Formats: sequence, structure tokens, C-alpha cells
Amino acid sequence: MRQRLVRRYAAERRFRRSGLAAVVLSIGVLAFLLMSMAASGWRGFVEQRIALPLDVAASASAGEMEDAVAMAAEAAYGADGLDYISESAWKTVRDAFRADSSLAGTSVVIPVPVSSTLSTALRGSGPETLVAAAQRLDAEGKISTHLNTHFLTGADGTDPSAVGIWGAFKGSLFTMLVTIVLAFPIGVLAAIYLEEFAPRGRWTDLIEVSINNLAAVPSIIFGLLGLSIFLNTMGLPRSAPLVGGMTLALMTLPVIVIAGRSAIKAVPPSIRDAALGVGASPVQAVAHHVLPAALPGIMTGSIIGMARALGETAPLLMIGMRAFITTPPDGISSPSSVLPVQIFLWSDEISRGFVEKTSAAIIVLLAFLLAMNAGAVYLRNRFEIRW
Amino acid sequence: MKKAAFSIGCLIAASLAGESMAATARKEIRVVGSSTVYPFSAAVAERYVGKNAGAASPVVESTGTGAGIKLFCAGVGAAHPDIVNASRRLKASEYADCAKNGVKDVVEIQIGIDGIAFAEAVAAPGIALSIVDIYKALAATPFDKANTAKSWKDVNPALPDMPILVYGPPTTSGTRDALTELILEKGCDSDPAMKALKDTDKDKHKAVCTKIRTDGAYVEAGEQDNLIVQKIATNPKAIGVFGYGFLEENTDKLKGVSIGGVAPIYDSIASFTYPGARPLYIYVKAAHLKAIKGLTEYVAEWTTAWSPTGYLKRRGMVVAPDDVRAANATIATSMTPLDPATLK
Repeated sequence: MRQRLVRRYAAERRFRRSGLAAVVLSIGVLAFLLMSMAASGWRGFVEQRIALPLDVAASASAGEMEDAVAMAAEAAYGADGLDYISESAWKTVRDAFRADSSLAGTSVVIPVPVSSTLSTALRGSGPETLVAAAQRLDAEGKISTHLNTHFLTGADGTDPSAVGIWGAFKGSLFTMLVTIVLAFPIGVLAAIYLEEFAPRGRWTDLIEVSINNLAAVPSIIFGLLGLSIFLNTMGLPRSAPLVGGMTLALMTLPVIVIAGRSAIKAVPPSIRDAALGVGASPVQAVAHHVLPAALPGIMTGSIIGMARALGETAPLLMIGMRAFITTPPDGISSPSSVLPVQIFLWSDEISRGFVEKTSAAIIVLLAFLLAMNAGAVYLRNRFEIRW
Repeated sequence: MKKAAFSIGCLIAASLAGESMAATARKEIRVVGSSTVYPFSAAVAERYVGKNAGAASPVVESTGTGAGIKLFCAGVGAAHPDIVNASRRLKASEYADCAKNGVKDVVEIQIGIDGIAFAEAVAAPGIALSIVDIYKALAATPFDKANTAKSWKDVNPALPDMPILVYGPPTTSGTRDALTELILEKGCDSDPAMKALKDTDKDKHKAVCTKIRTDGAYVEAGEQDNLIVQKIATNPKAIGVFGYGFLEENTDKLKGVSIGGVAPIYDSIASFTYPGARPLYIYVKAAHLKAIKGLTEYVAEWTTAWSPTGYLKRRGMVVAPDDVRAANATIATSMTPLDPATLK
């Protein structure tokens, strides 16, 4: 008897410990992921600038400005000067002149972004001569570090020192908007109908099985579906957030339906019976009592679906959202990229400066995801009803 | 509830109506095609937007040359791309496909030169190959015999005893086409019997000369050229095949493998002495020139970009000789369609 008791306690301890180990392991993996991203990604949010003395006439055109900046770089730092400054350095100068017109025509020193090769060299990698030059410049106090605002306001580019994430962020925002506008109402209506009104029978069973299967279909299949229906048959524009959102809505729909049905099922029948008992019509009972009670559960399901859609790349590649676009989209029909695809594109770039930009973009994507989840948790808690 | 559903329905209907109108008139230029030309094309697009204030950003998609040409040739109209980037010339069969779909006038512009470079890690012992060595090592059936070579020594006794492991592009890539045409076929034709076979049995010749082995010695690494760079940088025994631009950008991690005694450097590629050198093209749909705003200006931007002092050289493109540039600049301004008879 005593021996059996000892064995039972030991088994319970083992179970508790393995549970704890599982939690520790998943927290460890998550922490490792976040740390490594933060370690390599924070550099994407700052930029090094090099002091550039120059004297440009106020009337200079864009082309003249570019030449003047190039000449100033060579005058200040020798023949290699042009390799030190970013290709978009003249835009910084132009913006500085626009902000303060009294600067033009006088000799001023403006910190301009360094080229991505110099920025890698400042960290000690790359060709030795350049690393030595970078260390010398740093020692002379020519290099300063600034917050890279362009990264948060600009769109894709070819020069890593001048790319931005805003274009892709806006694209993701538009895509998610289209997805939620389509998937949420349709999904919830389908769930309510199937759970509350549909007659039980072979057809309902068939539909239920189909929806469950649909939720498990690999996302690339939805991409092919989007390509053949939305682009080839309906003739909607390629690379647009509208088509991306519609494709992802197809993917998210079954998840919302399944989550919605189980949330509705979880509402105690007494609520329904009481509403019907005091004379409410079936639709009133559902709209006024069952749905509000089920909403937190529906929302959880929707958020899981949306989070999956936000991180989705494969179906969007099929409908042409894997594209280079240098201006942020201005609507759901203008071509754009989305965050995960942008990360994918940057990871394939030749220039080394894109490595840190890729990590920085991942941080932005995670922040977006976190904000979305936080919003959902807030809404869920507001509507939560406890029995 | 009813009101909400109704308004959502209206919203969807309105957006769909707006979209179908948008689909017929397109503001932006659409470019598809080669992953090798993609970075250059993107740079030109960026400049084009910078110079023409208010212009819609061109949309550049990297699909691979073959897939890009398929999209390009699918028809004329807003739904089809205006330009295809190609890392090889259009094939006669592809042109026929184009013409069948109504894409008759195609303007061919050579934008520069690229080399497919063979490279290895800086830490590697250094290997010098010939095109025949490469053919014997990579072909599925070199000279119509099963390929049993496991080590480079099996291919050529003068080479080091190093397992054959080559990371290269997949079949959809223009770089792969260049590999088969510029290296493998030439290595194959070094045997007179194979050259004779070309006249007697063309299909057999193609299979023997261009089919790459699939037993693991040649690893297809997707259109992700950076992935190949990373893989070979960490493995001194592996050799990678990719566009010359990637080698130039990673000279601290990689070094070029010379072929037939010629190292993949800028000068040897520009003069076509490196066997892997190949011209790069863009093909413009002449029917779209009037309909798509800015298409002419975008093409004109190429002609300033490809000069020896232009920004494409800094990005790793090899500049074409003066006469080639002049001839193509003329084509870019006059928009003379290419003569299909010159295609192979």
C-alpha cells in the first residue's frame, strides 16, 4: 500500500516537472528568437552619418545637387569619398536645404548617411583598407549616429542605407483590412447559421466536413486559387492589397467559422431558452443574447486566423505581391508589398547592408502582430461575460 | 445588425466596381523576369521615380527569365507586363508563343553583360577548372556514359581529391540556361563525336550535353543566390554558380574559380574571354509604349544608367563595349522591334 502511494507521488512529480520543462523550453526558444532579432535588428533603426562640408547654390536642380554632393565628398575625403556617402546622400542635403533655406549658398557642414559598405566597415567587417579608413574617420569624430527616420517612413529601395519599411507596412495594413472586412462578417454569419438555424442532415454534415478540411489546406493552394479566380477570371490588378486580402480572407474564413461555431456552442442553452421563453424571436435570441456572449470566443479565433494571414508569404507570391515598389501604396488597388514578403525580398538582396534591415523588418512585423493581438485581448476582455 | 451587413455588402461591391475600372487603365509600369537583372532593374526604377516627380513606382517582379517571358508573352493589355528582364536572348519558340498571343512588336535592348561565376570560399585550397572538367563533373551522362565521378580527381587526375559538390541555379533560371549553353554544351562539343551527333540526332545531343546529374553532386539552390553564397562560404569543399555581381559583392568571403586559366574578373567578363560571360537584355512591348505613361522615360533611364560611370556598374553589372551601348541606345530611342529571324 505504502509502496503504491510512493510510486503515485513520484509519477505526479514527474508529470509536473515535465510540464514545467515544456514551459521553460518554449520560453527559452522565444527568448532566443527575440534576443537574436533584437541584437542584429536594432542597427536597422539607426544610421551612421558622416559630416560633409559643402557649398551649394540655392538654385541647384536635383541633378546639380547630386553632382555637387559627389564633388563635396571627393573634396573632403579624397578619391574614395564617393564610396563613403550613401547614394541617396543628396536627398538628405536637399531636405536640409528645404527645411532651412538660409543654408543654401553658404558653406555648411551637413551630416549625410554613410554608404552601406562604410557602415559595415565601421563594424569591422569588409575589406581591410576600408575598415582602417572607417576607424580613422570615427576617431576623427566625423561619424555620428542618428535615428533612421527614413526607415519608418520610406518604401523599398535598392540602397540599404535608404530603404524604408512603411510601404510594406501600409501594404500589410490594407491587406489585413480587406481580409477582416471580408472574412469576419461572412465567417460569423456562416457560423451562426450553421450552429443555430441550419437543419441537421446530410448536407449540413457535408458542409461541416468541408469547412474543417478547408482550414487544413496549405496556404499555397489558396494562392493558386487567387491567381486563377481573382486575377485570371475577374481581371483584378496584380500585386494589389485588395487581391491579397481576398486571397487571405479565403484562407482565414474556415478558421473563423470553426472558432465561431465552437464559441456559439459554448453559450449555455439556458440563455437561449430564457430569451425564447420571454417571447424573443429566434433571430432576436441569437442577435441580442447568444452572439454577444459568444463574441470573445469568436474574436480569439479570428485573431488566430488574422495572425496567420499577416505572416503569410506563399499565397501572396502567387498573386504578384513579391515585387519591387519604391512608393508606399495609396489605396487597396495600388501595387504594394507586405511585411513578410518584404523580409523575404531583402533576405535575397546582394548588398550586405540588407542583413540588418531584414532583422529590423522582422522586428516591425512582430510589433505589428503584438499590437494586433493586444487589441484583440483588450476587446475580448471588454466583452467577456462570466457565469 | 442588418444595417451593418448591408453596409459591408455595399463596401465590397463598391470596391469591386472601382477595381475592375482600375484594371483597365494601369498607371504603373510592370516589369517581370530574371533574378539577375532584378537588382539593376530595381535601381533604374528607383532613379526613374526620383527623376520624374509624381510618377507611379514601377513594379518589378523577380520571376526568373523563363517564367517572366511566359507572363510577358501572354498578351497585350493592362493585365500583362510591359517589360521582361532576361539573362539570355529570347528563343524563337518563345517569340512564336508571343506572336500567337498578339505580342508582335518586341523591342530588344541589351543592357550590359553578366558573367556566371564559379566561386569557392576564400579558405578553399583553390581549384582551376576547364569547361570539359565541369561538363564531365556535372553532366548526367557525360559523352553518353553514366557519370560515376565522385571526386574532382575522377574527372581529371590533375585536380585535387575533393568531392564534387556544386550549388547552382534551378531550371527556371536564366543563369542555369547560361550554364548549360556557355559551359556544358561547349565542354560536350569538345568531343568531335558529340559535335557530329548534333547534326544526326539533335534531341540525343541535347540530352547528353545539357542534362545535369541529379545524384546530389549538383544541388539546385533556388532563385536565392544569397543562399548559395552562404553555403559555399562556410564549406571550403563546395563550389557555387551564380551571377558575377554576387561574387563581386562578397570578395572577402569568396574567390572566383578560373575556367580554362581565365579568372572571373571584371575585364575578362567585359571582353567575353571568361567562358561564363553572357549579355543581359530587356524586352519592351511596343504596343504598350503609348498606353503606359512613362514607359519611354523608364527605358531612356536605362541608357544613362548603363554607362561606364553609371550606377549599374557600382551594383556589379559589367558594362557593354561602346559600340554595343551606342547601338542599343539608338534602339531605345527609336523603339525598333526586333527581327524574329535573328532568334534561335
